Amino acid sequence: MTMYISATFKELTRKRVFLVSLILTFVFLVLFAFGVRELTGMAGQNQVSPAERLMNSLVLMVLGLFFSQFLAAFFVLFSAMGIVTGEQENGLLLAVAARPIPRWKLYLAKWLGHAVWITVYSTALFVSVVWTIHIQAGFPILADEMLRGLGLFLWMPLLLLTITMLGSVYLPMLGNGICSALLYGFALFSGLVEGVSSYGGPHPALEKFFLLTGLLLPTDSVYRRSLFELMGGADWAGMAISDMGPFSITSVPSNTFLLYTVGYAAVLLLLGCRAFSRKDL
Amino acid sequence: MMMIDTAELTKTYNGRGGCRGITLQVPEGCIFGLLGPNGAGKSTFVKMLAGLHRPDSGRATVLGQPLGRPEARRKLGYLPELFRFQDWLTPAEVLRFHGQLGGLRPQETRAPAFRSRVRDTLELVGLSDAADRRVGGFSKGMQQRLGLAAALLLDPELVILDEPASALDPVGRYEIRSLLKRLRGRGVTIFLNTHLLEDVEELCDEAAFLYGGELLASGPLHKLLSGTGDSEGNGANWRFRLGGWLPETRAELNDALGGALSSLLRLVEADDDGNALLTARVSDREQAGYLCSLFIRSGLTLYESGPEPNSLEAWFLRMAGSRQGGVPQ
Repeated sequence: MTMYISATFKELTRKRVFLVSLILTFVFLVLFAFGVRELTGMAGQNQVSPAERLMNSLVLMVLGLFFSQFLAAFFVLFSAMGIVTGEQENGLLLAVAARPIPRWKLYLAKWLGHAVWITVYSTALFVSVVWTIHIQAGFPILADEMLRGLGLFLWMPLLLLTITMLGSVYLPMLGNGICSALLYGFALFSGLVEGVSSYGGPHPALEKFFLLTGLLLPTDSVYRRSLFELMGGADWAGMAISDMGPFSITSVPSNTFLLYTVGYAAVLLLLGCRAFSRKDL
Repeated sequence: MMMIDTAELTKTYNGRGGCRGITLQVPEGCIFGLLGPNGAGKSTFVKMLAGLHRPDSGRATVLGQPLGRPEARRKLGYLPELFRFQDWLTPAEVLRFHGQLGGLRPQETRAPAFRSRVRDTLELVGLSDAADRRVGGFSKGMQQRLGLAAALLLDPELVILDEPASALDPVGRYEIRSLLKRLRGRGVTIFLNTHLLEDVEELCDEAAFLYGGELLASGPLHKLLSGTGDSEGNGANWRFRLGGWLPETRAELNDALGGALSSLLRLVEADDDGNALLTARVSDREQAGYLCSLFIRSGLTLYESGPEPNSLEAWFLRMAGSRQGGVPQ
């Protein structure tokens, strides 16, 4: 496993898209820090109240993490969309799969190898954004809230990795990238629509639709719960993010739903191992 | 012990292509050549042996283990046809990676004994000078040599090579042939899938011929080739190059031959200028002489007549041609 984690890291760092992602992430973080500094500076000049300052920091946090999860998702899509069929097409898998190692172990090792580096990238992104807002906008950080938020923030790209890898067993690299991006975009879009629709009161049909979307690809739901936890749960989150248009969080996924996502990932991993073991290379 | 033993092994792609009902045995210590034209199903068969494809039906054992099991691949070295190694690795790193995939622990692959084995293997395939270069800068031939090194790294008892010399220059091919002979001397069994008939002719003890997904012939090479007749041409295939060939000539010859001989004669090629090449399997030289006189009596010009060369190429062409029809149909 350690061999594969190390090999995956070397493989990722050799991909041009990895370098581009890192540069763009760095640019995003610099621009974000600059933007936050300017906004908080303007707020300082207007002598806002502590409550208003807190509200502003919550709003900045929502926006910062929204774009961060977007970056994490694209990092996953670009690095994992060709894990199986891409390597099959270019011949990398042939010599490897003929070795005396069960295919399911190869699949899990590849998942783990990508998961480690996705976790490292997403952690760096999350910590940078939260730290920037904490330092510049005075967002209060509590260790347990931050850890819960971080854990769930990391779970989102790992879920996306699991479904993208499963897709890569069946679909060609580009097709899988498009399908996974569409699924992720669909979940994201549903979340945004849910935020907007909250203004018109409850719509049973829409609620069912959002629930089904969440069950199909729970990335957006997990992201929302991450945000909810980071912002102090019910004490604070409700203040800021129930009235942010598309970014509003009208309903927070329950612990049962989080358990569902664990089962969801486990089933997808099992399906991937099974499909990869039976695949003709 | 049979190193490879298959019975009715079948793999098709939605009912098309692939190979069907392949039954063959590869004895220990021999070099076995798998022959056949493009699309014959050779690569499908090889991939099943290497555990990369799952058979639809039939059964097989490799090194005494059922197909597809990791145990079956533990003492198996495999060189795929179209493969690539990670561009950013050096040959030594590739071999270390494959050593670990082969079951060695990381600390074992860092030990001096393994490093020495890596050096020896790279020297064996002629890559000592490129040991520290990145694989990304390798030519196709060098990649092929490295693939061979990876296949031989863990002292396999059975080596399956899928077109091992396809990207090599004549010197490289000569070196690989020498290497395979040395391996056979050490008791390693080699299963060779190749288009290079001279390699099979020079190296192989046994061979099999696949065509259209079916096994047409299999056995010791000298027995397969013995069907091409003796040095006098008795019991061999004879070839006749003729002039004045017309579309209706075929029917006229059929009438003249009228029976036993007509089924032996086969039209290989004919052009609009009346030139034709025919072959016939004859029992003795007199039968060939009779055919020559018959052609002349029929108004044809006989430019050339003689036994086909006693070579693997002739055997290959005849095997492939036997499925394409002749004179008369």
